[in-house]
Amino acid sequence: MGHEERRLVARAQDGDRAAFEELVRLHAARLYAVVLRLAGDRHEAEEVTQETFLRAWRGIDGFKGDARFFTWLYRIGVNEARRSSQRGSGPRAVTSLEQHRIDPRDPGPGPADAAEHTDLRSALEAAIAALDDDYRAPLVLRDVEGLSTAEAAELMGLGEAAFKSRLHRARLAVRMAVEPYLPVQDER
Amino acid sequence: MRHMLRHPIRFMRDHRFTGSRASAYLDGELDAAGRRRVERHTRVCPQCHQLIESLRQTIAGLMGLRSEPGGETADGVIARLHHER
Repeated sequence: MGHEERRLVARAQDGDRAAFEELVRLHAARLYAVVLRLAGDRHEAEEVTQETFLRAWRGIDGFKGDARFFTWLYRIGVNEARRSSQRGSGPRAVTSLEQHRIDPRDPGPGPADAAEHTDLRSALEAAIAALDDDYRAPLVLRDVEGLSTAEAAELMGLGEAAFKSRLHRARLAVRMAVEPYLPVQDER
Repeated sequence: MRHMLRHPIRFMRDHRFTGSRASAYLDGELDAAGRRRVERHTRVCPQCHQLIESLRQTIAGLMGLRSEPGGETADGVIARLHHER
């Protein structure tokens, strides 16, 4: 956490609303991008992002500075996305994505599924969206957002072994889904 | 193939080991002995070689997805903060 951010957090903890709004401006877009991948729906992601910052403002005294401020926000955001998903408030929980979930144990999509995607990026996005919640969050936090394994496991409330197991299965499922879009391998 | 025929039990053990630890290998989380085991096996097993390489490309693709979205989200959050107070 940089010096400026530390100063803003300290001011926010003293009740300075303007300082907290600066923290919002620093982190809202990034948090929204993460939550959107977890929630799968723009309206739900906006709700979750706003609720996350409300909780953060109310609980700012609980931030002890032993983690990065953004990691602390992620933790609130991931929990809020999970709560939102369990409430079934977003369309994802009841409509198409629910019906097209990828189970990491499945053998993967056939050629018809592959034909729907025009490139690797859209195939990756679709494969992430189709993962079950328990597998999507580790993949998004570790591989897309670049958190360390320890950091991502901790904020998900998982032991590192359980986190790594989910991450590996999620990667295998995504790899299976996007394999037709990967560069051709050399023959050995 | 020759290796598999000569040491089928070791080959299958290494095959399972590589399959279950491919992510740990790519994340640099295996110890030296584990790394050597994976690398020795992928030299003689085309299937595991393909697994490691495609997984490596998949992870690289995932890392490339991160993008900075627009800044209008902050305005919505701040409006909500004002409204809730």
